[in-house]
Amino acid sequence: MEYIVETKNATKNFGKEKAVVGLDLQIPKGEIYGFLGPNGSGKTTTIRMLLGLMKPTFGSVRIFGKDIKKEKIEILKRVGSLVENPSYYPHLTAYENLETSRKILGVPKKRIHEVLAIVRLSDAANKKVKGFSLGMKQRLGIAAALLHQPDLLILDEPTNGLDPSGIIEIRELIKRLPKETGMTILLSSHLLAEIDQMATTVGILRKGELIFQDSIETMRMYAKQTISLNVSSSEKAWRSLLAKGIKAEFEKGTILLSERSNEKVAQAVSSLVQDGFSVYRVQEEKKSLEDIFLQMTKEEQAV
Amino acid sequence: MMGRLMQAEFIKIKRKGFWFLAFLGALGVVAMQMVNYGVRKDYLFTQSEDRWGYYLMNIHSFTPLAIVLGIVILTSFLSSVENETNAWKQIIALPVSKRMVYLAKFTVLAIVLFISSFLMGIFTLLYGLYLGLGEAIPSADLMQYSFYPYFASLAVLAFQLWVATVSQNQAIPITIGVVGVIFAYSASVLPDWMIWKWPSLMNEWNDPMINVWWGLGAGALLYLAGMLDFTRRDVK
Repeated sequence: MEYIVETKNATKNFGKEKAVVGLDLQIPKGEIYGFLGPNGSGKTTTIRMLLGLMKPTFGSVRIFGKDIKKEKIEILKRVGSLVENPSYYPHLTAYENLETSRKILGVPKKRIHEVLAIVRLSDAANKKVKGFSLGMKQRLGIAAALLHQPDLLILDEPTNGLDPSGIIEIRELIKRLPKETGMTILLSSHLLAEIDQMATTVGILRKGELIFQDSIETMRMYAKQTISLNVSSSEKAWRSLLAKGIKAEFEKGTILLSERSNEKVAQAVSSLVQDGFSVYRVQEEKKSLEDIFLQMTKEEQAV
Repeated sequence: MMGRLMQAEFIKIKRKGFWFLAFLGALGVVAMQMVNYGVRKDYLFTQSEDRWGYYLMNIHSFTPLAIVLGIVILTSFLSSVENETNAWKQIIALPVSKRMVYLAKFTVLAIVLFISSFLMGIFTLLYGLYLGLGEAIPSADLMQYSFYPYFASLAVLAFQLWVATVSQNQAIPITIGVVGVIFAYSASVLPDWMIWKWPSLMNEWNDPMINVWWGLGAGALLYLAGMLDFTRRDVK
């Protein structure tokens, strides 16, 4: 498979602190890659390494099959980005802000009007950015990232500060781009719901480590239903089930059955009853993606 | 690429009073003598046979101060434009080398300061003519007092730009700059090796040209050091 972004063992240390550890990111062409992780898990540090803003302590970063260390400028010609908070020059107008980037990128002037129209800022083109709301600044940042029609778009928390209608607009835009232009998009967020609605591939980062990387469908598979049993002396009951060869897990005083067919549930219940345990409740629980995400990113309990 | 980067830099300094400062600095130096000569012209005329020479010396007593102060303000200014919303990350993520970005900043500053020095020369000449200092205009001396301090101060410029671009906190370059201004003011008691002495054009051999060469030489070295340090650092 052709990977637009591929990192091998990318690691970044700040002094003793390990920000990103042994990251093997693989982003296929034309995908919307959702980069998920709680605050401080290393998303922005990773993005900075991808853009050559930071050098990895060790490991390699390849974009479009080229090494960022050797061909940074060639790579960046085809990458548009918005990192963390949007950067802008408050004393300049929206148009002038884009003009400073346009000069460097060397694209025709009409692109400025085009990208302003895309993010719906045409009316504010000649207003100073100082007076913009956070959402408008965010749109301006996205407009700047789109100026040179990049093949890879890297957006760090792109819907930050946007109002609901703005979020929907940007979401539609992000979904549209790969279809229309074949663009590959890397999208970071700490909100699963957002990634869920846009991404086709997901990578989950926890404490600087990539703990999951696969398609969103694979992740949804984890969202399967389970049957939970509330019984008396539950741990003992769980052991008795295991002794009879019924697959079950024990968690916080409830027994979770892995197999959900009617017969298996009936079998488990009758076995418990025969062994003299009282069955209080039999419930069907559906794990949401949110639960899975929380479970995956939950810090290990201190022993 | 360099040309386009510099055009971008010139857009960024719009409406920030950058050009006004360059103009004001040049005018300020001459304005000091306008006051001086305005108040006691007759007395000053008795001080020396060479009225033009004496006038230029008076002008030059404030030039180093104005140049060093100007450098401190303009460098800090130009890096604060980027620091304000951390726009460094946005420029560096564009397809340009960090070396070019640094060179563009330096060049813009050098140009603005040169224009300021040029303006100062013009103002000096005009006020000198207005005072009626004599028919023979010492054009060589006028050039020397207008442009030598500029070249002699390039080391200070390179140094201040280095400090200003790598400091997250702009209080650091400003503090160092204020100390530099004090140094420039007390040039006569400083040892020759200190870069802040050079704009005064004083040295133990009484040859202003030496300061020009020092300014260019040390300026180039400090520029390289600053650029390499800037390139090496991670962008936060």
